[in-house]
Amino acid sequence: MAVGPSTIGDFSVLPISIPPLPSFPRPATHYVYLRRNAPKIPTATDSRSLFLTNVPIDSTELHLRHLIASLVGNGRFESATFEDEKRDANPVADAQPVQAARLLAAHSKKRKREGEDAERAREEEAARLPSTWTRPLRRSGGTAVVLLADAKSVEQVLKAVAKVHRSKKYPTWGVGEVHDAKRIPPLGSVWLKAHNRLSYPDKDALQAAVDAFSALFTKREQEAAEIAKRLRNEPDEDGFVTVTRGGRNAPASRNEAEEAKRKMLERQEKKREEMANFYRFQLRERQKEEQAELLKRFEEDRKKISAMREKRGKFVPES
Amino acid sequence: MESAPAKRRKLDHSQTKTDNALQTAAVTGVSRSRAFVLETEELLDEVSLDYATAFKGADELLHKIKSSIESIEPHEPTQITEAAARIEKKHRVKVPFPDPRPSKSSNYKVSVAKPTQFNVVGSYVSKTMVKTQKCHTIDMVFLIPAEILQEKDYLDLRYFYKRAYVLALASAVLQNDFGTTADLSYEHLHGNPLCPVIVLQPQALGGSEKPSSDENSGDAQTQKPLDYRIRIIPCAPDEFFPKSKLHLGASLVRKGKDGDNSSASLPTPFYNSTLVAEGCFFPYLRVLRQAEKRCKAFKNACILGRIWLQQRGFGGSVAQGGFGHFEWALLLALLLQGGENKGNASLSPSLSSTQLFKAMVQFLSVTNFAEKPCVLGSSTAGEDISDAGPVIYDSVRQLNIAFKMSPWSAAMLYQQARWTRNILNDSSVDQFNPCFILKADLPLQSFDMIARLNRSGKFDETAESDCRGKVWQFSSKVYRILKRALSDKELGERARLIHVRLPECAPWPLAEKPKSPKVSGVEVGILFDPTNAGRTVDRGPVAGPSAQEKEDCEKFRRFWGSKAELRRFEGDGIRETVLWSSASPFDLCEEIMRYILNLHLQIGALDDDLTFYGHALSRLLPLNPTDSAVFNAARKAFTSFERDIRDLEDLPLQVRQVAPICPELRHASVKLPQLSPSNIGSQPMEAVISFEASGKWPESLAAIQRTKIAFLLMIGNLLEEKKRGRVKTWVGLEDGQSDIENLAFLDIVYESGASFRLRIHSDLEEALLERQTKDKTVEQHIRTRTAASLATFRRLYTHLPLHTQTISTFVTRFPALSGAIRLLKQWFNMHKLSYHFTDEFIELVALHVFISPYPWDAPSSANTGFFRALRFLAHWDWRSEPLVLDTGGDMPPADRTAIATRLEAWRKIDPSMSHTVVFVATAQDTTGVAYTSVDGHAKPTKVVATRMTALAKSASRVVREQGLALDTRTLFVPSLKEYDVLIYLNGRVAKDTRRTYPTDDPIGLAENPVKHGKFKNLDERTGQEPLPLAQYPSQALLKHLDEAYDGVLVFFRGAADDTTIGAIWNPQAQSRKFKINMPASYKPVGTTDSDESDEEEVDVVLNREGILAEIARVGGDLIEKIDMKT
Repeated sequence: MAVGPSTIGDFSVLPISIPPLPSFPRPATHYVYLRRNAPKIPTATDSRSLFLTNVPIDSTELHLRHLIASLVGNGRFESATFEDEKRDANPVADAQPVQAARLLAAHSKKRKREGEDAERAREEEAARLPSTWTRPLRRSGGTAVVLLADAKSVEQVLKAVAKVHRSKKYPTWGVGEVHDAKRIPPLGSVWLKAHNRLSYPDKDALQAAVDAFSALFTKREQEAAEIAKRLRNEPDEDGFVTVTRGGRNAPASRNEAEEAKRKMLERQEKKREEMANFYRFQLRERQKEEQAELLKRFEEDRKKISAMREKRGKFVPES
Repeated sequence: MESAPAKRRKLDHSQTKTDNALQTAAVTGVSRSRAFVLETEELLDEVSLDYATAFKGADELLHKIKSSIESIEPHEPTQITEAAARIEKKHRVKVPFPDPRPSKSSNYKVSVAKPTQFNVVGSYVSKTMVKTQKCHTIDMVFLIPAEILQEKDYLDLRYFYKRAYVLALASAVLQNDFGTTADLSYEHLHGNPLCPVIVLQPQALGGSEKPSSDENSGDAQTQKPLDYRIRIIPCAPDEFFPKSKLHLGASLVRKGKDGDNSSASLPTPFYNSTLVAEGCFFPYLRVLRQAEKRCKAFKNACILGRIWLQQRGFGGSVAQGGFGHFEWALLLALLLQGGENKGNASLSPSLSSTQLFKAMVQFLSVTNFAEKPCVLGSSTAGEDISDAGPVIYDSVRQLNIAFKMSPWSAAMLYQQARWTRNILNDSSVDQFNPCFILKADLPLQSFDMIARLNRSGKFDETAESDCRGKVWQFSSKVYRILKRALSDKELGERARLIHVRLPECAPWPLAEKPKSPKVSGVEVGILFDPTNAGRTVDRGPVAGPSAQEKEDCEKFRRFWGSKAELRRFEGDGIRETVLWSSASPFDLCEEIMRYILNLHLQIGALDDDLTFYGHALSRLLPLNPTDSAVFNAARKAFTSFERDIRDLEDLPLQVRQVAPICPELRHASVKLPQLSPSNIGSQPMEAVISFEASGKWPESLAAIQRTKIAFLLMIGNLLEEKKRGRVKTWVGLEDGQSDIENLAFLDIVYESGASFRLRIHSDLEEALLERQTKDKTVEQHIRTRTAASLATFRRLYTHLPLHTQTISTFVTRFPALSGAIRLLKQWFNMHKLSYHFTDEFIELVALHVFISPYPWDAPSSANTGFFRALRFLAHWDWRSEPLVLDTGGDMPPADRTAIATRLEAWRKIDPSMSHTVVFVATAQDTTGVAYTSVDGHAKPTKVVATRMTALAKSASRVVREQGLALDTRTLFVPSLKEYDVLIYLNGRVAKDTRRTYPTDDPIGLAENPVKHGKFKNLDERTGQEPLPLAQYPSQALLKHLDEAYDGVLVFFRGAADDTTIGAIWNPQAQSRKFKINMPASYKPVGTTDSDESDEEEVDVVLNREGILAEIARVGGDLIEKIDMKT
C-alpha cells in the first residue's frame, strides 16, 4: 500500500483498513484525522480529549472504544461525543410556551440550583418520545470528540498513530462489531426492520410520555406566568418596569388581536373602494394610467422577444 | 372630450413598423395578442428567403428550358400509340399516359405545334417560399397550343393523352439539353394520376459546397443556394373547353376499361375538375397578382398559411390532403375579392397579415366544406354540386378548388382550424408556438389509434371511372365504412375523427412506367371520443312495425351482417344491437375495425392484414379498463372510513374535514391501491383531518405536536372500541428531526385490507409558524428552519388536499387522464427520476397537456396524453418559463404576470438555482414552489431537472423519428451506463424487510433470532397481523445515505420498490483543501502513487472506495452488490 503523509496541518492521519464485504469486495482504507481537542471555548476536559474529524458514518461510541483500544490498549477510553449529538441535546427546550421561554431566558439567572436541575432532567427524560432508530448514522466527514482517561493517554494515542504509519499495521474497523455483537445493534435489513418496529411504540408508553410532557408544559407555563406577574410590579435596576402581556384583564390572545387587525384593514379597504371613481379626475387619471401600462407592457413584450431572438431557434418551425 | 384626439391619432398613419404594431396593440389591447403580432413578425423575418442567393441561376435556367422546349419540332397528326412508340424508340423516353392507356386500336391522332406561351407560376413568383419547406419547387407552365387540341378532347381522357404526349416530347428535348447538368424525372402533379409533369433537379451548384439542409444556421446574408427543383407543367388554354360541360355532375369518362358503357352514368367530378384546373393556371396567376397588389399583407398571410399548413401535414398533393399553400392563397385571394356568399363576409384588404391569418382560420373553422359545399361568388352551378366530396366552388372560373381533397382531409382541416381557433381565442396562453412552431402531425401524438392496411383485399375494378387511382378509391371505401361504423350518430360516435393517410407517390425516371400504386401503407388514424369509446353494446334502430323502422333495421343488418341481433332493453323496447367482447376502447375499436373491414372489404381477417399501433404502452404498464373500478373502490373505502371518524361521538372537537392526500385516492398511482389483506406490510393511504377552530390548542409548537399525539391515541382507541375486531390502529412516530414538526400519525387498518394514515391539522400551528417566520427578534437560521416547516405544513394540510381534489375532478372530466398520469409516472420511475420529484409535479405536468392541449384538443387516450406530456417536457424551458395551470378555469391575467414576475425575481436572487429550480403554479398556489420543493429543498434540483429535460428530449426525438415503427418499450429502458455507481439491492431481503410484526425483537440484537416459517403452525407469528409500513425500507435507507453524503453523491431511484439505485459523484467535490468540517470522506493526497501534492490547494481527494465500503456496511444484507465505474 502506498504511503501517505502522516500529518496534515496539525492533524495526524489515522488510516483504518476496512474489511471487504461480499457486496463490495474491494479493500478500502478510511482516513480519520485527529488532534488534541482545542475548542474555541475551553472546557475542563480539553487536556484529556481528542478531536476527530472524518469519522465513518457508521461510527458508534463502541467502535471508537475498540479503535482506541487497538492503538493503546484497554482502559484508556472514557466516552465519545459526536457532532450531531451535541446539536439536539435538549429537544424539550421547545416545550415551553414561546413567551415563557423568552421571559425565563431573561430572568432565570438566580434560579440555578443543583437539585432543581436534576429534577428537570428527569422530567424532560420522561416526556421524551422513544427514538425510532436503533443506531444513528453520522454525516460523512463528520467530527467527534473522544474523552480519554488522562492527558497521558492523549499523548500515547498520537504516538501510536505515528507508529502505525511506520509499521503499516493499520487498525481494522468494526472489530467491535464482532466482539461486542450484543451491544452494537446491526445495520442492514435488521436495522430497517427494527426501525419499522420502533416507529410503532407501545400505546401506553406513548400516552405516558405525552402525559409527562403536558405536566411539564403546564408547570412551565405557570412559572412563566408567575415571573411575568412579578415583573409587572418590579422595576429593574434602572427603574424601568418591563411591559408584559396580560394586565388586569385576562391575557389577550394573539389570535384575537390579529383577527381584529384584519377586520380593521378590511374596513379601511372597503371605504377606500367606495370612494374610487367618485370624481371625474380619478377616472381620467386611471385611464391615463391604463394607457401608460399598456405601453409599458408593449415595451416589455418587445424586449422579451428580442431576448428570445438572441436565444435563436425559437422562431423556426419544427421540422 | 377624450375621444377626439384618439380618433385623430388613429387616422394619421405613421409608417414605421413599430408604430403600426403599437397601433394594433392599442386596438386589440390584450397583452398576448400583441406578443403574437410581434412574434409572427419575427417568424416572418426568420423564415424569409433571400431569393437572389437561394435561387442563384434559376432565372437563367428557366430561360434555357424555355428555349429548349420551344425547339420541339412540330409534326403532322399521327396515330397516338404509334407516335408514342416512335418517341420511345428514338429518345428512350416513355410517354406517361394516364391509366387506362390508349388502346392500340384507338384512332386518336396527335399532332404537335411549337409551344409559345410560357410562364412561371406559384410561390416562386409570389416570393412566398420559406426556409423550412421540405423542397423548394419552381413551377413553370407552358401552354399546349390550341391548334393541336380539339373541343371534344374533354371526353374520355383524350386531352390527357395528348398532354402526356406533348410532355414526353418536351422531356425528350430537355433530356437532350440538360441530361448532363440536371436530373430529370416524371412525377404526378400533386399526386394526381392524370397530370404527369417533368421534374428537373439541377445537379449540385457551384461544386464546392454541398447542398446544405440546415439553412437556419446561416444568416440571411450568407445564405447558400438551395436545392431547388423545377417542375415543367403543360397546361390547356383558358376557356378552351366548354365549362358548361365540365360541371361536377357530368360524366365524361364513358368508356370503361373494356370499352363497355356500364359505368357511363357515374359522374366523374375529379376528372372534370382536373380538366378545368388545367385551363386555370393563367387566370389564377392573375387573381393572385391582383390580390398581392390590392392587399399589402397578402403575401405574408400566405407565408403564415403555408407554415400553419405545413406544421399540420397539409400540402397540395392528394396524399397530403390536397389543401396546400396554393389553395390557401387562392381562397384568401377570393375572399379578399369579395367573393362571398351569404353569411361569410369578405375580408378587407387593409387587414394586417396576422389578422388575415386569423380570419382565414376563422373561415376554415366555420365552413365545413366536406359536409356542405362552399360557393364563392354568385352561384349558378349550385344544384350541380352534389355529393362530390369537399367543395369550394369558385363560380367565376367554375372550378372546385378543393377537388384534390378527400372527405377525411377536409374533416381534418376543419378540425385543425377549430383547434387553432381555440388557441387564438384563449388570450391567456402562448398562442404563437402551437400555431406555427410545433409540429402537429406526428401520428402517435395526434391519434389514439393507428391502423396500417397491409393487404389490399380485392379491388373493385369497375368503379374506377374517376381516374383518382386505385389507392384513393380503396381508401375512400375504407373511410366510408369506418365512418359509418365508428363516428356516425347512428352508433353514438365512438371516434371524433378518422383520418386516412395515403402513401406518397414518388417521381420515376423518364424511361420507365410509373410504379403501380400499392394499397399497403395506407394508414388510418382514429381519434377517440373518450366518453363513448369504451361502450360494448351498440344500440341500433328500434325494431318496430312501421315501414320506416323496418327499412332502418334492414339497413342496419345489411351493414353489420351477422353481428346484428335483436335485443330487448329495459324501458327502451326491442332494438337491433351489436355486441362487442373487448373491454378497453382500443381493443373495442380494433375488434370493430377488423370485423367490419373483413365483412365489406375482405381484409382484416388475418392479423397481418391490419396492424394496429398505439397500444403498446398500456400493455406495458399494464393499464386495464378495470383499474378505474379499483380506484373507485379505494375512494369508497375512504368514504366509509371518513364516516367512521365522523361518527365518533366522544371527540372533544367537531370534525370539519377528512381529506385524502395520496395518489391512490386520486386515480394517479402507478400501482393499484391495496385493498385486500396481505401479510406484507404496505404503506397506508394518507389523509389529513381537521377540526373546527378551537382556542384549546396550546400556544407552543412542541405542545401542539404532543397534543396531536394524544388526539391520535384517543381517535385510535375510540375507533377500535367502536368497531371491535374489525379495525386495528397503530400510532406511528414520524422519522423527523425536531420536536416542533409533526411527530406522529395514526394508521388504521381495516379487516378488509384497506388501510389509512391520518395526520391532524391544527390551525394554530400555522399561525405560530407564520408568526415565527416574521419575527425579527429570532435568529436567522431558526427563521429559515421555521419557514421550511411552514412550507411543509402548508404542503401537507393545504396544498395536498386541494391538489387531490383537483386531480380527482379532472380525472372524471378527462377519462384518459388517469392513464396518462400513470404512464408518465412509470416513465419517471424507469428512468430513476421519481426519487427527485413529487408525485404532484408529475401529475400536474400530465394535467397540463389536458387543460392546455394546443395545438390539439385534449388527449382522448392515455398514449397520446403520455406522448404529448413527454413532448411538453422536452420543450419546456423551465429556466425561464413557469408552468402555469389554470385549474380553476378563470385565472386572471394579472395572476399570470405576477407568477412570471415572481419567477424572474427568483432567478435574479438565486441565479445558480440552488433553492428554486422548477416553477409550477396553479390556481390555488401561485407561489410556484408548493409542488417543487420539500422540506426547504428544491425537488428536483437543477442537475436532475436538466437530466429530465435531456431524457424527455431524446425520447421525443425517438418518437418523432421512428413514427409508427417505434417500439415503445425502448422509451422505458433506463440507461445505467451513465451512473458512476450502481447499488443493487437484494430483492428478496428487501421484500422481507417490509414485513414486521409487533412481537419482533425491537432492537435486533437477539443472539439467534427465532427461525420462522419452517412449520407454519409452530410459528408464533401465524395469524398475527403485520405492522403497517412506516416508510419503505429502501426509501429510509436512501434517505439516510442522502443525508450522509449530501452534495457529494446524487442518488437516482425509481419507484419505492426499485432494486437498482444509481448514483453520480459531484464533480466539484473530487478534491479540496483539507479543513475541519469536510462534506464527505476524503483521503490525503499521496496515498495513491505519485507525489503530486505540489499543488497547494489540493491536499485531500474523495475517498471513493471508503465511501462505498461505508454504504455496503450500512446496507448490510440488503445490498447485494455495488458496482463502481472506474
